[in-house]
Amino acid sequence: MFDVSELVQPDQGLINPSIYTDPEIYQAELERVFARSWLFLAHDTQLPKPGSFVQTYMAEDPVLVVRQRDGSVKAFLNQCRHRGMRICRADEGVARAFTCTYHGWGYNLAGELVNVPMQDRAYHDDIDKAKWGPTRVPRLHNHKGFIFGTWDESAPSFEDYLGDMVWYFDALADRYDAGLTLVPGATKWVIDCNWKFAAEQFASDMYHVPSSHASALVALIEDPAILAEFQAQSAAAPGRQYAGNGHGSGFALRPDLVPTQAGPDFDAWVVANREQIYRRIGEQRALAVNGHNTVFPNFSWLTINNTMRVWHPRGPGQIEVWSWTYLPKDADERAKQAVRTSTIRTFSAAGVFETDDGENWTEIQQVLRGHQARKTTFNARMGLGHERHGTDGMPGGVTDDMYTEMAARGMYRRWADLMSGLSWPEITDRDEARQQGEQEAHRA
Amino acid sequence: MSNFAAPPPQRRTDVDLATRYDIERFLYLEAELLDDQKFEDWLELFDDDIHYWLPTRTTRTVRERDLEIAGPDGAAFIDDDKAFLAGRVRRLASGRSWSEEPPSRTRRLITNIRPIRLESGEFEVRVNFHVLRSRAERHHDTFFGERTDLLRRIPQEPGFHIARRRIVLDTTTLLAPSISIFL
Ligand code: FES
Ligand SMILES: [Fe+2]
Repeated sequence: MFDVSELVQPDQGLINPSIYTDPEIYQAELERVFARSWLFLAHDTQLPKPGSFVQTYMAEDPVLVVRQRDGSVKAFLNQCRHRGMRICRADEGVARAFTCTYHGWGYNLAGELVNVPMQDRAYHDDIDKAKWGPTRVPRLHNHKGFIFGTWDESAPSFEDYLGDMVWYFDALADRYDAGLTLVPGATKWVIDCNWKFAAEQFASDMYHVPSSHASALVALIEDPAILAEFQAQSAAAPGRQYAGNGHGSGFALRPDLVPTQAGPDFDAWVVANREQIYRRIGEQRALAVNGHNTVFPNFSWLTINNTMRVWHPRGPGQIEVWSWTYLPKDADERAKQAVRTSTIRTFSAAGVFETDDGENWTEIQQVLRGHQARKTTFNARMGLGHERHGTDGMPGGVTDDMYTEMAARGMYRRWADLMSGLSWPEITDRDEARQQGEQEAHRA
Repeated sequence: MSNFAAPPPQRRTDVDLATRYDIERFLYLEAELLDDQKFEDWLELFDDDIHYWLPTRTTRTVRERDLEIAGPDGAAFIDDDKAFLAGRVRRLASGRSWSEEPPSRTRRLITNIRPIRLESGEFEVRVNFHVLRSRAERHHDTFFGERTDLLRRIPQEPGFHIARRRIVLDTTTLLAPSISIFL
């Protein structure tokens, strides 16, 4: 057994790296973290019509997410109740029903068992089909097109689970009148690293950018003089970081919405729609919230880079990255193509930023094969004790710079609370008390 | 935009042995430049309007099999023009692209070369490939699939330019941490 209080000490910024390697801790995470949290399942635009389905995962559990005839969405385990065969073995598509290929049990779009072959002869008509449907994901929530689900009936509502993070999430989700659409198809690849490296980096880590991504801008900008100017400007830009409920967001404050990384075709569309964006989310938020984000535990996006992803855990030492490019739904074709290509070039598995992130995480995971390496305490103390909660009217715990590990500490705090087996009401009470303490300290 | 989405209907004819020989020689030269990490020389093989494309694919039922490979508006691992290919080469030369510094060792096998002469005088060449990549102490990746190139004759050596390249991997989920090499 493990003692969670010895594994992470969020208030001290101390991490015992066995949390990235220990198989027992990993199994406990599946139960205490992933089965109790709200997880991203699909975006509305992936399910365009009745019968549209995607197969995704909630941690290691395969889940079918299906558009119903009435337009609603249901989700259930992709596991037949007879002997556990996968009910559907395509990644996505349009179906009228799902038939298990092993012995032929048939399920409708809602995941109800509707057909049992030879029901009279084999079962003597003595089977209550209503009891033998696949396990339903009991709670779903659609937040502005983003569909989340949880197995935990006692988990807080999705709104309470997000807390102040909703303000940062909506800088993406609520940005345009017509909403967002995904470029069709997920890009999927495998990295040999623990899921927390990726989730934590997207919650809290602007610090790695100058070093890790030293070469990415070389690919994007040909002229060394312009490159140097750009690097100096980004280094000097002030920034902020938000942390709360285990979530995190960090960003540089920008003077304007343009230029974007996608280039002039997209910039023209943004300029034409600037007032719309300001009206929806306010000028301050539109300009400020443009950086890295994680909704605890494993859903992340980069607001300005138009990439979002889930870090599906695959054992303590491996993840599958599932990433999508998102676009304003009503942008013109040129603008859409500009975003699509620029996101692929920067943040796909061949992206000039992304490839170097994976390199760091796999190397750390390799080093952690060592016994001494797993005992060596990690330092997550950046900004500890210097967290000025100067908020600029931004909700939640916000520091006055993006170079801090406040959100990482917040993520490990939520992780520790869940891993300790605390109930959801206990966790929420603790968080509220902590936030009140922070506010009082700020007033004093 | 891609030219693979709707290839114009063209009369397609077999190539003579001499042309086949030239094309094979060209493809092996390209493979050699990549495995020898002569990326600047490699870049010279491409036309200025090159579209270098590696769409993703998904597992589909038989009925929806034709939707397996992402279309020109869909997800892709790579969707480059000449300027960005040049950017990638610059990046590799910078010595700070950490997924390729220290650099990977690659070995590529180009086989089943199927050239066709188009009415336009260009050549459409399909090949099977298997690329092995070894990184650092013991990291090992393998990439395999099919490439379809559009080749144009040029008067000087090495005899062709690559005007289009579509790469289709046989995997859906890429079992590698990155594609920081060229395929
Ligand atoms: S396992 Fe599905 S019908 Fe038997
Ligand atoms: Fe990064």
